[in-house]
Amino acid sequence: MKWAIIRFPGSNCDEDARFALKKAGMEARFVWHTERELKGFDGVFLPGGFSYGDYLRAGALAAKSPVMEAVRRFAQEGRYVIGVCNGFQILTEAGLLPGALLANLNLHFTCKEVGVRVERTDLPFTQLYGKGQVLRLPIAHAEGRYYADEDTLARLEGEGRVVFRYAPLKGEGDYNPNGSLNDIAGIVNEKGNVLGMMPHPERAVDEILGNTDGLPFFLGMVKEVAR
Amino acid sequence: MRRYQATLLIELKEGILDPQGRAVEGVLKDLGHPVESVRVGKVLEIVFPAETLLQAEEKAKELGQILANPVMETWTLEALKEVP
Repeated sequence: MKWAIIRFPGSNCDEDARFALKKAGMEARFVWHTERELKGFDGVFLPGGFSYGDYLRAGALAAKSPVMEAVRRFAQEGRYVIGVCNGFQILTEAGLLPGALLANLNLHFTCKEVGVRVERTDLPFTQLYGKGQVLRLPIAHAEGRYYADEDTLARLEGEGRVVFRYAPLKGEGDYNPNGSLNDIAGIVNEKGNVLGMMPHPERAVDEILGNTDGLPFFLGMVKEVAR
Repeated sequence: MRRYQATLLIELKEGILDPQGRAVEGVLKDLGHPVESVRVGKVLEIVFPAETLLQAEEKAKELGQILANPVMETWTLEALKEVP
C-alpha cells in the first residue's frame, strides 16, 4: 500500500508519519501541497503541524490548497484519507468531515499522553484493537475542542461514527484534555474511508520511545489490503 | 479600475463557548470593570479592485463566505469604501 503524505508549509509530523507507515511495511512518499494529482497512491495522510502558522483558523488556509481538490476526489473514490491533529483540522475546514475544532477550553497548548478509547473495530485502522480498549496516545494541540451542532452530533453518534473518544487512564479524573463535545477524539465519514483524529498514533509506534499503542493502527491498514 | 476596502468581521456563533472572551472578561472584572460578557472576533481589512461599489459589495460578500467557517462562525461586512 502506497501513501501520499501531504506536506503544507508548516507541517511537522510528516517524517513521523512516514516512519510509522514504513514501520508497518507500507510505502510512503511526500507530496507538496501545490500538486493537483494523486496518481498511483492508495492512501492520503494529512500530517500534524501548524500549516500556514494556524493563521485565520487552524487548517483553514491549508484546506484551500490546490492538493485538497485532489484529496476530495480521492476520498469520493472511497480511498483512504487520514488526518491527524492539524490534518483533522484541515479535513473539517475542507468539509470532508463534519464539525470544527475550536480552541482548547483552557486555552493551553496541551502536549501529553491521554487515554483514548476505541469505539469501533470494524475499520482497517482499528481492527487490531479490542472494542472499548483504552490506548495511551500523545496529543499536542491548542485547537482540539471538537464542536458540532446538536443535529450533527446526534447523527455522528447514531451512525457510530465516533471512532475514538477520550477516556480516563488509570486513576485519572479529568480526562477530556480540550473540552471536546461527547469526549470526541476522532471521527469517520459515512463510508468509513475518511478518518480524522487529534491524538497522534504515529508518535507511538516505537519501543525506544516507550509507547507502541499506535502501531496496530498502521498494521491494521496492511491487513485490510491483504484481505 | 477603482480600489475598495472591505472590513469583514468574523465572530464565533452565538452559543459557542469562547474561552478567549471569558479570559478577557475575567481580567476586566479583576480591574474593577463591571462587564457582562466579552466575545473575541477577528477583523479583516481587504483591499481589492472593482468597477463599482455594487460590484465591490458582491466581491466582499464572496470573500466573507470563503473566509468564515459556517460551522462555528458568522461574518458581517462591517464597512466598504473606495480608497485612493
